[in-house]
Amino acid sequence: MIEVRNLCKDYGPHQAIHNLSFTIQKGDVVGFLGPNGAGKSTTMKIITGFMAPSSGTASIAGFDVFEHPIEVKKRIGYLPETPPLYGDMYVRDYLTYVARLKDVEKNRISMLVDRAIEKTLLGDVQHRLIQNLSKGFRQRVGIAQALVSDPEVLVLDEPTVGLDPKQVAEIRNLIKELKGHHTIILSTHILPEVQAACEKAIIINKGRIVAEDTIQNLSVREKGQSQIFVRLRQETADLKSLLAGIDGVLTVDSGLSQREWKVNVKGTDETVDAISARIVSKGLGLIEFTPQRVDLEDVFLRLTYGTEKQEGAL
Amino acid sequence: MRGIGIICAKELKSLFSSPMFYIVTLMITGLLSLNFFVYLKGFAAQQGMTSFNGGTENLANIHMGVFVKHLSVLNLILIFLVPALTMRLLSEERKMRTFDLLLTSPVTSAEIVLGKYFAALGAILVWMLLALIYPVATRYVVVFSWAPLLVSFFGIFMLAAVYAAMSLFCSSLTEQSLIAFVMSVIFNILLWFLGSVADAVDSQTLRAVFEHVSLNTHLSALVFGTLRTSSIIFLVSVMAFFVFLTERVVESFRWRSL
Repeated sequence: MIEVRNLCKDYGPHQAIHNLSFTIQKGDVVGFLGPNGAGKSTTMKIITGFMAPSSGTASIAGFDVFEHPIEVKKRIGYLPETPPLYGDMYVRDYLTYVARLKDVEKNRISMLVDRAIEKTLLGDVQHRLIQNLSKGFRQRVGIAQALVSDPEVLVLDEPTVGLDPKQVAEIRNLIKELKGHHTIILSTHILPEVQAACEKAIIINKGRIVAEDTIQNLSVREKGQSQIFVRLRQETADLKSLLAGIDGVLTVDSGLSQREWKVNVKGTDETVDAISARIVSKGLGLIEFTPQRVDLEDVFLRLTYGTEKQEGAL
Repeated sequence: MRGIGIICAKELKSLFSSPMFYIVTLMITGLLSLNFFVYLKGFAAQQGMTSFNGGTENLANIHMGVFVKHLSVLNLILIFLVPALTMRLLSEERKMRTFDLLLTSPVTSAEIVLGKYFAALGAILVWMLLALIYPVATRYVVVFSWAPLLVSFFGIFMLAAVYAAMSLFCSSLTEQSLIAFVMSVIFNILLWFLGSVADAVDSQTLRAVFEHVSLNTHLSALVFGTLRTSSIIFLVSVMAFFVFLTERVVESFRWRSL
């Protein structure tokens, strides 16, 4: 659906993105992840045909973004970093205008506007001026604007910025709901967002792709090691000797008190099983047992800021 | 070409639903009314004098005596008002980042620019029609020929269209509406001074060139009621030239980083 080949973009001497290549299948929800200034927005602007790259190609649904910009733009809904809103228009009029701009057939416009309003929960404000709306509502109008043409590809640049936690959850649910109907690219520097909504993540740093995989694979990538948090009812002087002999237990550290312990393990679920069984059989009163997964955050930090550290060391 | 209509309709709607437009229009009519009254009164007095002295051959012409003066007031207003109208058309889109929407929609740069340009012409047309009410009302008390009046109104409309093209171009150059406004006013005034350069140059060729690009040359014929194709072609080429330049600037946003 989306194919990007050797994309480069220079701003004068500054190279925003360098030799970016990736492919996104139809119906995928892909998180575009990276620290601030990594080149996320630049890449999205190029994919949407808003901006031309210095070199390389991008194509959507088989249409090259630069050879057939009109065809590509008919198939794209784009939410830029700053939602492109006209303060002096009513929400509903604005969405109708966008639908017409996007070349939606006349008889579908009102239906699609209704749908976009319903999906982004804008029903109460649809007859208000955009300039009088709060930031959260404006962001939602921005999302509605991207949705309104029922595009094959949705490109959302930081869609949940400025929303309160409840709205963030709603938008994530919306993205999940849209899964399957649309191919979605979503840029963010907020990790839980990618975990909550996407199947696949592309992590970029300093204009280069540092990882491209499914969320599942990224989370378990280089996993090897995980930590289990254990809370006991009885104080235990030495959990380490108690757990001795179980395969895969690396270290046992005490936490805040002798009731809390952190067990580092390297191994399969059987190791975890054995640890819990041992504690229970000794009658220590197991009240909490939480395996802490090596999550996306660690992977992300290692892949982006980690490389920075190495470069600094060199 | 579908985009032109959509963008034009949107701009006109936002213009006509803005209170500012009506306030400005009210002030224009105030100014025009005041001046028209003065001109008409002066003309009537002069007319009385002429007929008092006997003879009809020296009878003043109402077209020259009142309508052309009326139109020159309108022209003066338009020099400042057209930039005020167009200054935000493109610069505001850039400043508010709404250009992102236009540039990622299936419309060409030419459609964007023409849509905005036609919207500006629409607003100018409203002001022209308002100004036309004065001569039409005069018709109830004085009999005159329609043709020169309509031709001269057409001339002023063409002139305003030239202003609009230049002002739209200025608007595309900057994110700051105010800078666009000042630049446009300077452009509009400059047009009037180009002709006087002709008197200052020695070269015959240069003089011919300046005389040809002077608005005075082309406009005077229209204002006096003569349709000259060369003038119309000149005015339309100036419009087309600036609209083309604007289109180039908008197109450049696609490869230049904003």
